[in-house]
Amino acid sequence: MTICKRLASALLLVFMSLCGSTSYGEGNQTLFDEGIRLIETGKLKKVADGVDLLINSKHDRSAFILESMLESKLYRHKKQKQLVMLVEKNDKGLLIADLDSLESTRQIGKRKAKRIPLNNKLRGKIKGYLASQNLNADQVSVRKAAIQKLLSALDDETLALIKARALYESNPDVQLLIDTAIALDALQSENETDRLKAIPTLSESLEPAVRNQLTQTATNDTSKAVQLAAQSALEKIEDKIAFYGFVEKIFFGLSLGSVLVLAAIGLAITFGVMGCINMAHGELIMIGAYTTYVIQLMMPNSIGASLFIAVPAAFVVSGLVGIAIERGVIQFLKGRPLETLLATFGISLVLQQAVRSIFSPLNRSVETPDWMAGSIEINPIFSLTLNRLYIILFCLAVFAVLFLVLKRTVLGLQVRAVSQNRNMARAMGVRSEWVDALTFGLGSGIAGVAGVALSQLTNVGPNLGQSYIIDSFMVVVFGGVGNLWGTLVAGMSLGVANKMLEPVSGAVLAKIFVLVFIILFIQKKPRGLFPQKGRAAEG
Amino acid sequence: MSLVSTQQINPIQETIFNRSTVLFLTVLAFVSVFVVICNQFVPVGSALHIPTYTVTLLGKYLTFALLAVSIDLIWGYLGILSLGHGAFFALGGYAMGMYLMRQIGDRGVYGDPVLPDFMVFLNWDELPWFWHGFDMFGLSMLMVVLVPGLLAFLFGWLTFRSRVTGVYLSIITQALTYALMLAFYRNEMGFGGNNGLTDFKDILGFDLQSDATRLTLFLLSAIALALGYIACRYIVTSKLGRVALAIRDAESRTRFIGYKVENVKLWIWSFSAALAGIAGALYVPQVGIINPNEFSPLNSIEMVVWVALGGRATLYGAVIGAVVVNYAKTYFTGALPEVWLFALGGLFIVTTIFLPKGIAGLLSRKEQRA
Amino acid sequence: MKNFKTKLAGVAAAVSLSVGASVTFAADTIKVGVLHSLSGTMAISETTLKDTMLMLVDEQNKKGGLLGKQLEAVVVDPASNWPLFAEKARELVEKEKVSAVFGCWTSVSRKSVLPVFEELNSILFYPVQYEGEESSKNVFYTGAAPNTQAIPAVDYLAEQGVERWVLAGTDYVYPRTTNKILEAYLKAKGVAEADIMINYTPFGHSDWQSIVSDVKKFGSTGKKTAVVSTINGDANVPFYKELGNQGVSAEDIPVVAFSVGEEELAGLDTGPLVGHLAAWNYFMSVESDENDAFIESWHAFIKDEKRVTNDPMEATYIGFNMWVKAVEAAGTTDPEAVQDAIVGISVPNLTGGLSTMMPNHHITKPVLIGEIQDDGQFEVVSSTNGLVQGDAWSDFLPGSKDVISDWRKPLACGNYNVKTGKCSGQNFE
Repeated sequence: MTICKRLASALLLVFMSLCGSTSYGEGNQTLFDEGIRLIETGKLKKVADGVDLLINSKHDRSAFILESMLESKLYRHKKQKQLVMLVEKNDKGLLIADLDSLESTRQIGKRKAKRIPLNNKLRGKIKGYLASQNLNADQVSVRKAAIQKLLSALDDETLALIKARALYESNPDVQLLIDTAIALDALQSENETDRLKAIPTLSESLEPAVRNQLTQTATNDTSKAVQLAAQSALEKIEDKIAFYGFVEKIFFGLSLGSVLVLAAIGLAITFGVMGCINMAHGELIMIGAYTTYVIQLMMPNSIGASLFIAVPAAFVVSGLVGIAIERGVIQFLKGRPLETLLATFGISLVLQQAVRSIFSPLNRSVETPDWMAGSIEINPIFSLTLNRLYIILFCLAVFAVLFLVLKRTVLGLQVRAVSQNRNMARAMGVRSEWVDALTFGLGSGIAGVAGVALSQLTNVGPNLGQSYIIDSFMVVVFGGVGNLWGTLVAGMSLGVANKMLEPVSGAVLAKIFVLVFIILFIQKKPRGLFPQKGRAAEG
Repeated sequence: MSLVSTQQINPIQETIFNRSTVLFLTVLAFVSVFVVICNQFVPVGSALHIPTYTVTLLGKYLTFALLAVSIDLIWGYLGILSLGHGAFFALGGYAMGMYLMRQIGDRGVYGDPVLPDFMVFLNWDELPWFWHGFDMFGLSMLMVVLVPGLLAFLFGWLTFRSRVTGVYLSIITQALTYALMLAFYRNEMGFGGNNGLTDFKDILGFDLQSDATRLTLFLLSAIALALGYIACRYIVTSKLGRVALAIRDAESRTRFIGYKVENVKLWIWSFSAALAGIAGALYVPQVGIINPNEFSPLNSIEMVVWVALGGRATLYGAVIGAVVVNYAKTYFTGALPEVWLFALGGLFIVTTIFLPKGIAGLLSRKEQRA
Repeated sequence: MKNFKTKLAGVAAAVSLSVGASVTFAADTIKVGVLHSLSGTMAISETTLKDTMLMLVDEQNKKGGLLGKQLEAVVVDPASNWPLFAEKARELVEKEKVSAVFGCWTSVSRKSVLPVFEELNSILFYPVQYEGEESSKNVFYTGAAPNTQAIPAVDYLAEQGVERWVLAGTDYVYPRTTNKILEAYLKAKGVAEADIMINYTPFGHSDWQSIVSDVKKFGSTGKKTAVVSTINGDANVPFYKELGNQGVSAEDIPVVAFSVGEEELAGLDTGPLVGHLAAWNYFMSVESDENDAFIESWHAFIKDEKRVTNDPMEATYIGFNMWVKAVEAAGTTDPEAVQDAIVGISVPNLTGGLSTMMPNHHITKPVLIGEIQDDGQFEVVSSTNGLVQGDAWSDFLPGSKDVISDWRKPLACGNYNVKTGKCSGQNFE
């Protein structure tokens, strides 16, 4: 969301609340004023008391004040000793407005006003309060979140609010949550039949609050029948949890696998097709990630679109660096694959240091666009994180494009011809030099594209490449050198295997097991999962 | 896609002590004597005095040189590119480190007579089984050779029988050292985790910090290098060595002729691993620490780079490569701390393009011209 | 042939000579060594401290140097390679003849150089929070020990109502020790075994999906849960990103970190992290005159207004000033004299108080708990009353609760067992 939009919505809110205060002036004005006075001090302890007063006052401006606190917009003017609203942070300092008249803004220096401090406890309290205010929001998701928030801390007051909402709630999902809340309350009732009746509704719910309550009921309830019913409901819930836990593991595995595939697939081309051990592959990934960083620097106002520009840009930048490496070094080392290992190792050191000199050795911050943040909630215990989901899709897309390029284009045909029999291809008129340069450029470009994806997951720093190079080699070799399908299958299966092992053995041992497995697997199939056949495979 | 260059580098028929070997041993002996004299008998203020600091540094280079020779033996003469030789080096080092840890006795931080500090600290009640016996020097030295040797034997037995070759072999050696690195980083393993083994006090009762011990370790490294070198020369000039060359250049053909390719590979490979273990064992008391970082795959690649830079399949080239790269590292990290990776990386690139046979190739080209 | 022989001999001789030769020293400057990795995995953190040292030396020289001489910083790069740390430390002390060394970040690098400093009887100032369980005659620890960082942080969280604890760390000695101490401490406070979850991950761990999901599950039992993170530098970014993506907010499950400071946050989009905590002895947001001056001169030196300051920088600042004051008091840079003079010396820290070098070679500092804000800074939400003295030997570990450290004469021992009356583990006579 852009600042403009936020500002507009904030203004709207203010306007609405201002109208509200003039029309009915509800709530306890004295408590409210006292609360504001305490918040004005800017001292955390007093602010905490002030927030309590604001909530208790039930004043209709409380929500607005608290919400701006939550968004860290509420400031305290140091000289005037009064609360002001932050409109915008700019180069000159702060653009602020008075609480009563948000339209007239003024500019003050950066250190002239201080943000009203908050801590987690207060933030939780404010969010809870706002949630209870949000029960009647128009958006379904907001209402759902509000009730979910209230589930863990139900009291008579909130329950009354929820019950009131139940009368005119039209959305079935929200209705279900409301039923759960009511049932959860019934579970506490004195009446045994009420408790028993509540359990079937609860057994359908995966909310953690429900499970905790049921666990307590299953052991502590005075009635045996209720205990038994709670136990069987719990079992039902646990079964579902186990199932979703398994699905979650598969998802985690696929997402780890897609990262491995992305990192390795460029190598599958340079290493697999050209037979060139490129130790600088990791650094080409790193260059892609830094390209993303630079693109974001150039367009700070449209982070959302930056990735769409970063992908082709990273492809071009890494691809050009790759072509430069091929033309400058590797072409002189034809037929001496081990010397290329040595030279590219040198190149990787130089590239790392170059990045350190240009961008400093510190990690760079690459922002996650809004559309990639957050997750899709399938149910309360299982959600798919969006960035992982996009990366899986992105990985498949990259794979598909690459596959088509190699199978359906002239370049692809020539690349395959040169990799299978260089001399014959040359005899048929293929310019093998040119093909080599382009192949290397293609592989490097793909590495750059992988860097864009990785910039969303991990550090963008000079060591980025080194942490992926070993894994990439493993994936390519496990899949079978020179086979793109092999790389895809190998990457995905190693990812899933790793994630399946991890809960049992811990992260480190899982990785060790996977490595040992690769070593043993190669004994069984010395040329990987999908061995190359024919003469090209010899030697 | 062969990883093995088919160029003939050495004439087939040779004696152990050919010209380059004699020359190498002479230079090594000369340098050792020179260092001893300059360290012991030249007064401190003199320009020719070599401080003990430098002696230990040279000792470290010599252990690296021995490691490089062991890599050259299998890469240059057998065509196996190991990207995991650092594992054998580190295992030898750990065996030595465990002996040195046990020697600390109750002088450790917590004063426990048996358990090393890190075990007391992790609340271990007794010594894990694999630490037993490392209080005996003889057994520990046996382990220095046996552990890397046996691991290599096992690994080679599996791998060579299944005819894993080329890049596949290189990458699984890398997987081996990577897996070991992760394992040794684990504190539960009982090898001190990331901190490794350190704070050594003495070896066979001699204080590790005294100049005399340092000088002795340096001389031992020189002797080990000389003996290792001669042993490798012995192998490469023997019949075994000639079969190895045949395997390097045409593995299938050698097999069809009737040689047991697997056995030849297995023995030379295991010997090389044991040699790397010895190098590691000499390295540890001189630098004073052994830590899982030695298992890092990048370290192993760097070792291969030494050999490539010095010149493959010459043995003396490996020594030159190891010394030159490590000296460059010592010098550049002090003189150009901000940009030394440019210098080192540049060195690698330039030598591969302009000196395809490494520094040794440069020397022998001069020789042919003269 | 002759040519070849001379060439080979020449190479060998040249190498052996040039390694040994060229020991130069200019008598008109006092040299200080800077031993921080400028390449390799630790360069991310350590380069800043090298710059800090250069700035401090520069400022001291502008003030007229020390004992009438100019200071000269000797910078070397140990390249995140632990044996190389020992080698470079020896080079600094033996070859460059530096009067004191400021350096190291990781515990293993300190362990690697420790014997060198003890053998050559030189001085090392170590500016990073660490696991304790060490006190050397030759090392001055200006960072936090577990009791000046971890325990106050846990106290704060317990005050906020946390009952269930996840102790997550990278698998190396600092998290291991800290977690052991915390585990013992929490149990002593009555926390049940089942309410503590301990998890270790390898260095540079980048895939946190499963662990974050486990933490979420662990935290969904109704009791307030917090994560105490001793996760090391590089692994933090993917960890926090995963937290944000899986929707773990600071109100539900706060994470308190001991290795995440302003510098680490500068490489992160801090929006989703607001409210997570860190415990340090210094935050850039602290308001004091010393801090304002320090930030100003740092920005002027590094020529970048956006660079942040952090706790290890403050520790470097304190260490350097203590050394300067000790040298002035002793009238010489002789390490033995400085070691004696420095105990008891107080210098201003950046949070508006004085830090004192204690007889156990640790210093006194305030402990601050800060919450991450969306601008990448910390808001201090709690601070200890007064200063806390760094404890070399933890009171919560069975092996070291009877051990004390006091380098004043006549005891002069870093590892004295009050029960047995024995002084063990010393590397000098």
